[in-house]
Amino acid sequence: MAQTPTSASTLLNSPEEFNGKQVTVVGELIGDYGLRDDGTIWTQLNGDPYATAPLRDGGRLSGGNIGIGVHGAAALFSGLDGPGRYNRVGPVVSVTGTWRYHDPDRGGETYLEIEVLEVVRRGYPLKEAVSMGTLLVGSLLVLAAAGVLVTIRRRS
Amino acid sequence: MLLRPTVNDIRLISYNVARMLLISAAAGLVPLAWAVLAGELAPATDFLVMVGLFALLGALGVAWKPAHDRLDWSHGMVVVALIWLVVPVVGSLPMILSGNFGSWLDAFFDAMSGITTTGLTLAQDIDHMATSMILWRHILHFLGGQGIIIAALSMFSGAGTATLYFGEGRDDRIYPSVRSTSRFIWLAAIVNGIAGILTLTLVAYLDLGFSFLRSFFHAATIFMAAFDTGGFAPQSTSIGYYHSAPFEVVIAMLMIAGVMSFGVHFALWRRRSVMGNLETKTILFTFGGTLLLTMIGLAAARAYGSAAGLGRQAFFQVLSAHSGTGFSTIPSSELATWGGLAFGGMTIAMALGGMASSTAGGVKSLRVGLTIKSIASQVKQVLLPEGAVISDRFIQNGPRHLTDELKQGVMVISLLYVGLYLFGGGIGLAAHVPLQDALFESISAAANVGLSVGVTSPSMPAVLKLTYAFQMWAGRLEFISVFALFGFLWSLGRGK
Repeated sequence: MAQTPTSASTLLNSPEEFNGKQVTVVGELIGDYGLRDDGTIWTQLNGDPYATAPLRDGGRLSGGNIGIGVHGAAALFSGLDGPGRYNRVGPVVSVTGTWRYHDPDRGGETYLEIEVLEVVRRGYPLKEAVSMGTLLVGSLLVLAAAGVLVTIRRRS
Repeated sequence: MLLRPTVNDIRLISYNVARMLLISAAAGLVPLAWAVLAGELAPATDFLVMVGLFALLGALGVAWKPAHDRLDWSHGMVVVALIWLVVPVVGSLPMILSGNFGSWLDAFFDAMSGITTTGLTLAQDIDHMATSMILWRHILHFLGGQGIIIAALSMFSGAGTATLYFGEGRDDRIYPSVRSTSRFIWLAAIVNGIAGILTLTLVAYLDLGFSFLRSFFHAATIFMAAFDTGGFAPQSTSIGYYHSAPFEVVIAMLMIAGVMSFGVHFALWRRRSVMGNLETKTILFTFGGTLLLTMIGLAAARAYGSAAGLGRQAFFQVLSAHSGTGFSTIPSSELATWGGLAFGGMTIAMALGGMASSTAGGVKSLRVGLTIKSIASQVKQVLLPEGAVISDRFIQNGPRHLTDELKQGVMVISLLYVGLYLFGGGIGLAAHVPLQDALFESISAAANVGLSVGVTSPSMPAVLKLTYAFQMWAGRLEFISVFALFGFLWSLGRGK
């Protein structure tokens, strides 16, 4: 089905070149699944290094996110894990569809109209690592500030 | 020769800075509480450190109370300049602890961008950032846009506090007392906030199909960034994330509300017309002009296949640029391709900025209007017969006289802005950024806009990060407080 395998980054850097073409992009679904009244879903697909190596799961800082808007029938998204956020890595999917650049029917928006969606890797929750040292330092600072303020109040 | 400050001067300054830090500590409790409620425990501990440090510094400063607390102009200006440096320094602590920033400088840059309502960012992987951290970045917009000083003035009274108000780049006096004016500014923000957050929540819930809690979160953060002309967004793709014309309409209305001075808010509340004001006429003219330029440029480049698409995208981008918000519905890689007239329209819109005493940055419409009026007056002087009397009056909340002193003040600040724009552009060029991009990014930083053509990134040279941070700071405070701080530091070392 996929005529032109590409990346989100390539689409963003040469959006006009792919206008109206079928492309396949792999990336993590992010943010929200916005279910509209017409039975379609809008969401974001990130094709950055964090999609495969999340920052809080051993990944490294690799610059800003690289995301494109994706749109498709709600049925395509049924059964998917929740989108990626702070405490969750979203599903990594391979989506095939038509790249719409400055779509005149949607007020000049640019997005990928999905026709096929395949799950490459399921989403999963991320665990937090709470630093006891940070908690201790924070508590001591608050206590010290409270001590100074109480002393000022007593003196006055 | 400057006089060396006395110990009491330093105590007076630190005492007033400290009071603002206590307010910042209170503001930090909001993301801390949010983090606990949202189960984001690691960020919660980071916020605890920040709140603790704000509170401790504030408490120590208050404990070192001066013999008298009367602020003169120089004290007030120094306090304001210091506040706008210390808050981003401490406010960047949870950012660097979050792991979303490559260095402390990057986190400081973001905090400075937040508080100056700029919106340029060096944050990495925003899409996986803790919601409490996103909230804190937007609260910085709100604190900066409404004014930390304004918050303090609404609560504290004290001799000479008016200097703090003016030091923050405000010159509207809605009520005779600065305290009452400050309270009105917060009232306007609260009323707009309730209306804005409610409307955005409803649109996000009913039109975008988000869950109710997520709708509220998006609405609250977007409101703070739009009304305070900030530009941070909860997702990396800014407003392009939402793919919704109704959502953009509400945001556009909030940006318009943000670009209006609080004097105009007051007049509208009292159902007084502001259409006769020089400032209103100027901003309508410059917005119309820059929008037209941008649309002609985009049409000539055949960027959009439909008039509706061209109109919608150009309107949103130009409004965002002119209001100094910095939201976008297109990626920065696409904005970078806008050349010719479209580039000119956007750049001029950013440079001119919003209304005086609003949350917007840039030269400001009143100064632009007065500059045009001054030039017109000079031309008339030359063309009319010798001895002809030329009226130098203008309407701005009533008839005013364009005095030589006013002309001089307007020219000086306007020239300083132009100088700041060129300074950042020059540093950009020295860092091997192409001329057009260097100019765009410099104006965006100095006019506290936040739109980017891709220059601002974690990988840009440290000198450029420092330059843009300085531009955001100096541009937001409209220079005088910054010069006062430099003078104060100079006199500490070299004063007699």
